[in-house]
Amino acid sequence: MKLTAWLGLILLMIVGLIGVVTGLLPDGWLPYDIVADVSPSDAGAAPSAAHWLGTDHLGRDVAWRLVLATRAFVGPGLLACLLASVIGVGAGAVSGFLGGPIAALVRYLSTVTASIPRFVLVLLAIAINGNSTWLIGAVAGVAYSPAVAEAVFSRIDSLQRADFVLAARAHGLGPFRILGYHLLWVNCRRMVGRHALNLFGYLLLLETTLSYIGGFGVMEPQPSWGNMLAFEFGYRTDNIWGVWAPALAIWVTIFCCGLVSDALAERRRG
Amino acid sequence: MADRLSLHGLRILAGTTPLVHDVDLQLEAGEILALVGASGSGKTLSARALLGLPGPRPGVVAAELEIRVGDRVLRPYQGLAEAVAAGKPGRFWRKAHQAFRPVRGHLVGTMAQDARGALDPLWTVERQLREALDLGGSSDEPAAVLIRAGFRHPQRVLCLFPHQLSGGMAQRACIALALARGSRFLIADEPTTGLDPTVQEAILAELQRLASEGIGVMLITHDLRIVPRVADRVQIIDAGRTVESLPAQLLSSSAAPKVRELINATARVAGGVL
Amino acid sequence: MADPQLRHDDTPSSDLARAGSWKLVFPVLRLVAVFMLTLAGAVLAIQLLLWASPGDPVDLVPNGEEIRAQLEAEWGLDRSLPERYVQFLGRALRGDLGSSLTYRPGATVTELILPAAGRSLRLLIPALLLSMGLGLGLGLLTAGRSSVVRRLAQVVSVAPVFLLAFVAVHLLNELAFYGMEAGWFGRPGWFALPDTDSAMKSSLAILVLAVGSGALAEVHAAVEDEVVRLRNATFVDAAVARGAPVWKHVLWNLLPPLATIAYGRAAFFVGGLVIVEKVLHLNGAGSMLWQACRLRDYPVALGITVLAAAAVCGARLLGDLVRISVDPRLREVAQ
Repeated sequence: MKLTAWLGLILLMIVGLIGVVTGLLPDGWLPYDIVADVSPSDAGAAPSAAHWLGTDHLGRDVAWRLVLATRAFVGPGLLACLLASVIGVGAGAVSGFLGGPIAALVRYLSTVTASIPRFVLVLLAIAINGNSTWLIGAVAGVAYSPAVAEAVFSRIDSLQRADFVLAARAHGLGPFRILGYHLLWVNCRRMVGRHALNLFGYLLLLETTLSYIGGFGVMEPQPSWGNMLAFEFGYRTDNIWGVWAPALAIWVTIFCCGLVSDALAERRRG
Repeated sequence: MADRLSLHGLRILAGTTPLVHDVDLQLEAGEILALVGASGSGKTLSARALLGLPGPRPGVVAAELEIRVGDRVLRPYQGLAEAVAAGKPGRFWRKAHQAFRPVRGHLVGTMAQDARGALDPLWTVERQLREALDLGGSSDEPAAVLIRAGFRHPQRVLCLFPHQLSGGMAQRACIALALARGSRFLIADEPTTGLDPTVQEAILAELQRLASEGIGVMLITHDLRIVPRVADRVQIIDAGRTVESLPAQLLSSSAAPKVRELINATARVAGGVL
Repeated sequence: MADPQLRHDDTPSSDLARAGSWKLVFPVLRLVAVFMLTLAGAVLAIQLLLWASPGDPVDLVPNGEEIRAQLEAEWGLDRSLPERYVQFLGRALRGDLGSSLTYRPGATVTELILPAAGRSLRLLIPALLLSMGLGLGLGLLTAGRSSVVRRLAQVVSVAPVFLLAFVAVHLLNELAFYGMEAGWFGRPGWFALPDTDSAMKSSLAILVLAVGSGALAEVHAAVEDEVVRLRNATFVDAAVARGAPVWKHVLWNLLPPLATIAYGRAAFFVGGLVIVEKVLHLNGAGSMLWQACRLRDYPVALGITVLAAAAVCGARLLGDLVRISVDPRLREVAQ
């Protein structure tokens, strides 16, 4: 992989690690109190030793909020990737391997799910079932699985007739071994990996959008890169990082997802 | 003076690797020249150089081409030598399309190996013929051209799309396209490969008929067996160089080692039919 | 020798050779059937969201208890799921999607959402066309070679739609503010975004929708793939060898894959539209959806979702119709 892709991967792993750690630690363990840290006298202060990225217009530390906001999307993002991979690979593999009416049914379900815009689906789901970032992750994962299923299905379907599969069958290798190792692991893992990365980036987009618009996603005073942006909109302070720190965080993270995903793309033949 | 096409001193490089080294090609109106060689020997590249097609990459670095038709004499590669010597081949190639416009399709027609693939998949045969006829400024009807190409029922064929044509029909359609432009020379690149024997016979007969009508045919093939029956002259290319160039009847008596190698291999495969 | 070969030679490979260009009826009917089946399935899925959630659907509605009887009749809660589905489908086909409960009580859903959908389409269609146009132009420009333009397009396009809107609005407002302070110009008509309705705001909405959340980058990449594939195609090379103008062949052959790309992005665009309308305070089906969800007005929310699914399926139908009318290979029914 190219250098830029490695840098992107490292950044993503850092973000992921921070998200997981801050998500697992109980609130009392962190040297920062979300609720208590409100000091209007400090509002809009430029970066200093006490506040590495300055403060927002309520005097809250931007850097800490930036870090803590990762737990809003990392956990749900991983959940979404897990769901989409399991459902997508399962459905795609089964229908690709078995073919016939099962494949037709799976493809029909895929098309139907893909007909409803993902964002609308998520919005409806949280309106009906209550607001929760984990629910957002779960619905996004399920809504994304048709894309994975289609990709896996077409790959396996085209490989079914390949000579090496016939040879493997002739050698007596069982269907699980052929499907599990030869077809899925060897041929599909990069593709599934790319989809997972794209989904993770999409979930970040989803969570920050919902938190930005407000009423859904992460609600104040819990930080999210989205609601940090919404909060600072229209306020003119000396600290540009109040607005640009979360904006850049979102932009760079999603960009890195795409960067690594592109690096994983198989080299086109010919 | 008969119409003739002569290419002299062709050299093609890919980077610094020579692909074609000092190849000469000559074709007269009404004769069939068979260009024979193993796959990758440079025969297709050399033939495409007649149309100025290899372009800057891989690079044609030297060529002198003279095409004589009626009173016209064309030298499309004029200026290449100077441009290459000055280290600015781009200067020549930018104007190459202009220089080769009268050649491509008009004076020299092409038949590709994948005949069906050579036709636009979205257009009917009729539409493709009309495009060729308009380009050549001809007022012929497409049906008439199809008849000249050997179709007995042109009306049935006009409304077909390329994917509906059989291999043999597609080859004939390509011949029709070349005829529609009124080409004096035809480059047939492996026209019989992949077709069944009866159809191969028909296409070769077609090419002979075209030659008898005065069209110069360059038949590129790797199958030595068809050469003695169809071609007037044969030129054998190996690793980008001309190994032998002689009248077709004298092929089996050639002494050049590469030629003998090819003849023997063909004999082994075909059971001594040469 | 010639005659028997010719007779053999004249036989086309396909049995449908007679068909030529006009046997479109069956493929079109098939596509319409697929459209209806898919939409029916989508409606079922949407319904399931409501009925399959834990608890009593009536409890979800704010003043549910008071109008329990009415809701039960309208939603057919005493009947089984298949019956409810059929009942909903039947009513929907007649144009009856129920009436609003909390958003605008008493008004029918249809009379609320259809005008809003019209307003939204005035943003959606230009955005789709702009995205395809930009993607096509950039793709033709950069296909097959490494290019700074591609990287730049990727970097800009990858930002979420709301972020692009936010940054644009923020920068424009700052610019206007400084300009007014410094006396360079008077107060622009669109200041301050996004509170005032203006052409600037609608144009910004269309631009952001066309480019953001990866829309432009994906269209660009897909177009590049197709252009590279076409450039290497045998018939393009043959056309050059024949001295025929290549651009006609290339553009015409690009049309089917462009149609595929366009309808592939439809669902994405509809989702993006919902976001853009909310972020830029525009009045359309998207912002109505937000309000309905906030107010728990399920008939309206479900109605808009069904409309969204219909738009996506409709885009797919349209794209497929374009494809089969341009590409004859797609007309023959797959064996």
